[in-house]
Amino acid sequence: MTPLSFYLALSAIMFVIGCVGAIVRRNAIVVFMCIELMLNAVNLSFVAFSHSVGNLDGQIAVFFVMVVAAAEAAVGLAIILGLFRTTKSVETSAANEMRL
Amino acid sequence: MSNAAITVINQTAVHAQLGIVAGLPLLGSALAYVVGRKNRDAAGWIATAAAALSFLWVLKLFAALSPEHYFEQRLAPWFSAPGLSVDFLLRFDQLTAVMCLIITGIGSLIHLYSIGYMAEDESRHRFFSYMNLFLFSMLTLVLGGNLLVLFIGWEGVGLCSYLLIGFWFKNLDYAGAGRKAFVVNRISDAGMLLAMFLLIQQFGTLDFVQLRALIGDPSTIVTVGGVGLLSIVAACLFIGATGKSAQIPLFVWLPDAMAGPTPVSALIHAATMVTAGLYLMARTNFIFDMAPSVMGVIIIIAVLTAFIAATIALAQNDIKKVLAYSTVSQLGFMFMAAGMGAYWIAIFHVITHALFKGCLFLCAGSVIMGCHHEQDMRKLGGLAKLMPITFATYLVSTLAIAGIYPFSGYQSKHAIVEALIGPDNPLHVVVASWVPILVSITAFLTAFYMTRSVALTFFGSYRGANGHDHHDANHDTKAKHDSHADKASSHTSHDSHQPHESPWVMTLPLILLGTGATVAGLLLQSALPEFLSPVLPRAHAHVPATVVEGIKGSWLGIVGVFLGLILYTKLQIVPRVIGSAFMPITKLFAGKWYFDELYAALIVRPLEGASQALWRIVDSAIIDGTVNGTGKIVDINGEWLRGTQTGQIRHYLLLMFFAAVVMLVFCFVL
Amino acid sequence: MNLLFIIFAAIVVVSALGVVLLRNPVHSALALVSNLVGVAAIYAMLNAHFLAVVQIIVYAGAIVVLVLFVLMLLNMKVEALKRHEKIFYTTVMLVAVAFCAAILPILHQFFGEFNPAASLTIASGAAASGAAALPRVEGTVEAIGKVLFTRYLFLFEAASILIMAALVGAVMLSHRVSNANGSSVNSGPSTDPSTTVRS
Repeated sequence: MTPLSFYLALSAIMFVIGCVGAIVRRNAIVVFMCIELMLNAVNLSFVAFSHSVGNLDGQIAVFFVMVVAAAEAAVGLAIILGLFRTTKSVETSAANEMRL
Repeated sequence: MSNAAITVINQTAVHAQLGIVAGLPLLGSALAYVVGRKNRDAAGWIATAAAALSFLWVLKLFAALSPEHYFEQRLAPWFSAPGLSVDFLLRFDQLTAVMCLIITGIGSLIHLYSIGYMAEDESRHRFFSYMNLFLFSMLTLVLGGNLLVLFIGWEGVGLCSYLLIGFWFKNLDYAGAGRKAFVVNRISDAGMLLAMFLLIQQFGTLDFVQLRALIGDPSTIVTVGGVGLLSIVAACLFIGATGKSAQIPLFVWLPDAMAGPTPVSALIHAATMVTAGLYLMARTNFIFDMAPSVMGVIIIIAVLTAFIAATIALAQNDIKKVLAYSTVSQLGFMFMAAGMGAYWIAIFHVITHALFKGCLFLCAGSVIMGCHHEQDMRKLGGLAKLMPITFATYLVSTLAIAGIYPFSGYQSKHAIVEALIGPDNPLHVVVASWVPILVSITAFLTAFYMTRSVALTFFGSYRGANGHDHHDANHDTKAKHDSHADKASSHTSHDSHQPHESPWVMTLPLILLGTGATVAGLLLQSALPEFLSPVLPRAHAHVPATVVEGIKGSWLGIVGVFLGLILYTKLQIVPRVIGSAFMPITKLFAGKWYFDELYAALIVRPLEGASQALWRIVDSAIIDGTVNGTGKIVDINGEWLRGTQTGQIRHYLLLMFFAAVVMLVFCFVL
Repeated sequence: MNLLFIIFAAIVVVSALGVVLLRNPVHSALALVSNLVGVAAIYAMLNAHFLAVVQIIVYAGAIVVLVLFVLMLLNMKVEALKRHEKIFYTTVMLVAVAFCAAILPILHQFFGEFNPAASLTIASGAAASGAAALPRVEGTVEAIGKVLFTRYLFLFEAASILIMAALVGAVMLSHRVSNANGSSVNSGPSTDPSTTVRS
């Protein structure tokens, strides 16, 4: 069997990639996708732990994370649409008015 | 050590209403200002009424006084600390009675006079308020039963002096004169405070009656480093006296004080405040009696002051300056007497001086008013016919100050000289041989320069409005600080307004004071020492038995007057020639012996330089720099911290990621 | 089992990199799909069958489709690489490397070495150190349903309210309102430049 730490390492790698992507990419929708990547990484961790502990609680947690991710997707994309309407671009640098 | 002189009688305390004496002028001060703001003319009458009522009350107390007791009133407790407890205590004994009579009596007359003198001034309500406040302070000074209450009055008169000298404060020179008076007085106050501290430490009390009881006991004499403690106390008290009473080296404020209105000069700088120092000495005579070395120094300083001031007066052209230096000189005479332990003689001269000098100043004010604010004697003259009352009283007072029998100055001056060199010298101090010579010369000079002022002002023809008679009479070179405090010194083509006599409010006090100057000496010469004997040790003063003896005794004065008359009416060329011949001496006299310049160079300018340096370096650079710098640092920090708020989401995300990594590392790895 | 894991792990990692590195956003979305499918496969390996399917239905089937819709709607251009942000990119990479470097010791400390022989995973009944063998659970629909509707019932209901809120919110945010002139105005939160926070 693959050890738990492998799964966790995979999860960590996915998480880092998602983090870096969220920071580096300027397109808001790609940033959103990277956030989904991060969520998936965490989900993977949950499931791995659930499997190692022998409990279903981890999977229930994943279930709820998915629910929230779906809700977030809907609302987030609506916001991006709103941003596009005012600034005519989906670059994150376009939304830079809250600064000193 | 004095022995023959002390015949002090022990007195008991009797309660009486003393607060009213000082309280009335205080009330008058407040009322004069408040009412005066609406009705300017009322202020003067209110103030005069307050002074007059106070005088009447003093008379009542005076009549009730007897040698066996003094009056006392404890107004309120002040503070009580371990080691010292002080009350607001007022005492009225024979010495205080004399001083109160002078203060309120002459004070009332001067207030009356001021109604006429200040009739056109916009802020005369403020003037009368200050004058009454001064009366209150001076009365507190002389009524004080302990040194602290006296000190309240002491500071109060200093304050009022400042306020009144700089009364026309919009002129910066006048305001500066007020400040000079105050600062010089503060220096002397330091001496007085030191004396008080030493007394508190040694005796634990500042009350005069208690101190007298404690100090008379030889077992309480303490030496500090070989010098008696009481000598130190006496020296410090004398330093305090030199400031108020304008002795060397702290006399420089008095001539500048002529910047104030003339009634101020009359009241404060002739009759009352300047005698505060003498009063202090008389009040604490039991301390001074224990310090013969200090007394010797006092005499020397007094003699030198009298002489130097007289020489300076010789070279002045402003009539008020002549009188100012004359005051300094006469104060020197008073301190000579006090230094010999003959306190009652000093007080005698205080009384006569108050009368004739007050009269002289008021006459000067009358002249100034009548000649439209002209103070330079070179531009006066011929006023004897134009202002007869002023002339008569001025002449009488001049004869008094010259010490001519039977006018009042004769008795007191004669008593001083006798005390100095006569056989009944109370302290049995041997004075150096030059002292009597100098004193005689000073007496002569007094008569001489006063007669000069009479001649220049009242005789001859009026040199004022009818163009200039450039009369470089006697020693007037370009005397530096001469026409100082002139309100209008260039009356070239003024209106041909002839000088006129002053109104009755001004001439009535002149007449009263002049009369006093004439007769006071005769009346008091025997009565005064008798009256003061419970308080001040009686020293003998020879009373002339016949008129001839009296006139012989005043020979110096007569010679001085005679010479002055001749040289300044007919032979005016002589003083001019002598003046130019002895130019350096002339310059010395006219330049006031360069005391002001010496102080400026030694003290004032270094202080100002230090002050500037402190301001620039410590205050501006260091303190402001620190405070502003702190602000700037915050500012700069804010500026670069601001750089983190870019508005870019990516930057924020990076920071969050970075923070998460740091936390991870710290919590789990390290 | 390891082989399957390695294959699917590779798919996951490669597609994750694809999401991040591909220039065209549509390509990124497709890479995301592949990533999600790979993760679903790993779920299946871990006996979370229900979740594997839900993952494909919800994530790959709904969320990514939604993203693609938006991409099509906005018709965006390919993102260009900005040259002057080199410092930024290097910083990001450094932090990422630091993160990875930090993770490994943690994993090592808490969950044993990367040594198959000393693993902590509980295989089916293989209790090597004599510790009590934990039961093997199957994430079947029935099992999850049992737990979900008993212990986590409240959360379930709360989640449904959350979804409804998101629904309403999404509709509100994207609603266009025409004003009197006929031009369309975004009725979402005001984006008027004069009222935004600006120093």
